[in-house]
Amino acid sequence: MWQYEKKLQYPVKIANPNPKYAQIIITQYGGPDGELGASMRYLSQRYSMPHSELKGLLTDIGTEELAHLEMVCAMVYQLTRNLTPDEIVKSGFDKYFVDHTTGIYPIAASAVPWRAEYIGVKGDVITDLHEDMAADATTTKEQPAFPRGRKPLISLAFRHFECFRKNGIPATI
Amino acid sequence: MDKQLVRRIHAYDFAILEMGMYLNTHPNDTCALQKRQELQAERAALVMEYEEKYGPYVVTDKDVRGDCWTWINSPWPWECDWGYNHVAV
Repeated sequence: MWQYEKKLQYPVKIANPNPKYAQIIITQYGGPDGELGASMRYLSQRYSMPHSELKGLLTDIGTEELAHLEMVCAMVYQLTRNLTPDEIVKSGFDKYFVDHTTGIYPIAASAVPWRAEYIGVKGDVITDLHEDMAADATTTKEQPAFPRGRKPLISLAFRHFECFRKNGIPATI
Repeated sequence: MDKQLVRRIHAYDFAILEMGMYLNTHPNDTCALQKRQELQAERAALVMEYEEKYGPYVVTDKDVRGDCWTWINSPWPWECDWGYNHVAV
């Protein structure tokens, strides 16, 4: 089970709402390399891990990915506050808004809803750890590339680099 | 909201999380175990101070006020900035 702590792992404070950026940032929630996939990947893979070290590693990283997911959602939430109808239409946010208003729905920037095909769970320790390393390498590269909201996203990129490194310790033994 | 108090708890949480991650793959490092225990004790005092002011930090924690349910009162994390300085978006 899990317990909720009333905090974000890294704080999110968006000064000005911007629905156009929200539509890009949301891909780090429900996109192919997003945090929803990351958490589901680790938490699904851990059952077939053969050693206690690996069960602990994947449980704790998977839990941290849930905290990352919450940070990205907080960014999208703050980017879409207090919008006028005009801002919604001009930013192109109207296509999202008609289905979800300002609820936070897990989709990619291309508007494809989150899919389980984004993750791999093979029940093989070497295969799964390499999948994790590849996934965390992607987010390490991708997150600093966003044009706005850099500080929280760079903090996520560092964490994903750390996950990449930590997965690499058992993968290379 | 005592933002400095909250930021100190966040810092301890992060350090304790990292020590745990390290110990997952180095479970016999007595130096790291000792350091983690020290951090836990220091964090516990800060969380107690938070809960006396604002209510539970984790839903299963004791609600020290006792006369009403304060979990829903304290600020929700996606709505407050805790006083960190960020580049404007």
